[in-house]
Amino acid sequence: MNEHVAGEPLVKYRNIGKRFGATEVLSDINFDIYPGEKVAMIGPSGSGKTTLARMLMTLEKPSKGTIEVGGELLWHRNVNGRLMEANASHLRKVRGQIGMVFQHFNLFPHMTILRNIMEAQVHVLGRTKQEAKEQAVKLLEKVGLADKCNAYPAQLSGGQQQRVAMARALVMKPKIMLFDEVTSALDPELVGEVLEVIREIAEEEEMAMLLITHEMAFARDIADRVVFMAEGQIIEQGPPKQIFNQPKHQRTMNFLSRFSAQSQSV
Amino acid sequence: MWSWDFAISILPQLLQAMIVTIEATIVGFVIAALLGLLWTLCKRSPFTPLRIAVNAFVEFIKSTPLLVQLYFIFFVFPAFGVSLSPFLAGVLGLGLHYSTYLTEVFRTGIDAIPKGQWEAGSALNFSRVKIWTQIIMPQAIPPIIPMLGNYFIVMFKETPLLSAISLVEMVQTAQMIGSASFRYVEAFTDVGIIFLVLSYPASLIVGVINKRIKQRFGQSI
Ligand SMILES: Nc1ncnc2c1ncn2[C@@H]1O[C@H](COP(=O)(O)OP(=O)(O)O)[C@@H](O)[C@H]1O
Ligand SMILES: [Mg+2]
Repeated sequence: MNEHVAGEPLVKYRNIGKRFGATEVLSDINFDIYPGEKVAMIGPSGSGKTTLARMLMTLEKPSKGTIEVGGELLWHRNVNGRLMEANASHLRKVRGQIGMVFQHFNLFPHMTILRNIMEAQVHVLGRTKQEAKEQAVKLLEKVGLADKCNAYPAQLSGGQQQRVAMARALVMKPKIMLFDEVTSALDPELVGEVLEVIREIAEEEEMAMLLITHEMAFARDIADRVVFMAEGQIIEQGPPKQIFNQPKHQRTMNFLSRFSAQSQSV
Repeated sequence: MWSWDFAISILPQLLQAMIVTIEATIVGFVIAALLGLLWTLCKRSPFTPLRIAVNAFVEFIKSTPLLVQLYFIFFVFPAFGVSLSPFLAGVLGLGLHYSTYLTEVFRTGIDAIPKGQWEAGSALNFSRVKIWTQIIMPQAIPPIIPMLGNYFIVMFKETPLLSAISLVEMVQTAQMIGSASFRYVEAFTDVGIIFLVLSYPASLIVGVINKRIKQRFGQSI
């Protein structure tokens, strides 16, 4: 797969902490993602994986620390050596490099599938409708839904909706795309088709991916690196083989063994 | 004694006045909708002083009688150099008063939009304005159309209040016919019937729209 792990990181989390009220959910995270790298993130629920991704998507603000994307600060601006809070236009500029696919798809229910994928191209990238439509159709072909152009999201299965959501994010050509448990809201029989599309994207696209998932076999299969999180900290990370076969930490072992016990019992 | 001839003979004059009533309702409703939307947006502003000021203003308008507000606009504004015709003062008062109810309706519609819609818009890097115009409002408005329709009918039935500031609408016209002929019964019966003939089908239409919207969106508010 992609061996782009040399050079400057695309994303740098530095000393990132997050608290909701009195609860600290992330403490002092330092974490890099390289251009084109496919990173899988695993860990028990409540360990802060979603929060970490949402801070990169600018949906949640860090309580401390900085995030850099493509060499630029995301939440801050450097004014004469002092860190100032970034304004809305700065956030918009940097955010353009980031895309996200959500657990619950979040398609726009009042638009057809085609318009779901065209809308941001027209209103954000300033593409013409014609251009946007061509791109949208191309992406719909890629996710195998070209025949659903004129359907509304409610007429599609969960798996189909999630594939549309991926096309919608992909058409913006982000440098990094975040996948937050994108199959965990789906009926079991629909998981496969969505994973298949992610696999294709991972193989064909240059962009970096951060894949938060409970699909261990899948993570092992497509990731360049696996990150294990627990209780707001990165416990360990490494190549999939190492994490799954020779985890260094007791916590990782416990998590993985509980997981395989669970999947065996199903 | 009830006179059919008289009741029919005054109909043209009353129907003429009905046009004023309908015009006042429509213009008043448009003002109420625009102001109501404005209040709703202000109440969601990140700028706290604006939020507090708008909340206080809306509560103030809501908790004072429409009649007092009409008198104030019509009789007190001229002291500050703003003289409005009865029609303008009337639709302004009516619109302002009902904007404080419509802002609640808009809020209900907007609050019903799942958080994920805002987040998807933001993740696709839509501007704040585009999130409102392309994503939120097109979803927030259809389910509240029946509620807006009900307020339209309520406002229609409130227009006789405008006769208090000398707007010659239907009730004022009936009053004048009555005092000239001493035939109040026919005049006000006609007015009642005209209101019924307009309001009742309107509320049926709102009911039908409500049903359609329920089918289309699965639920209404
Ligand atoms: N908006 C929020 N307000 C309060 N607590 C939150 C909020 N979002 C997440 N949390 C808490 O932060 C912790 C980490 O959550 P999350 O990032 O969703 O973990 P994960 O994705 O690994 O399951 C959890 O304990 C969760 O309850
Ligand atoms: Mg999560």
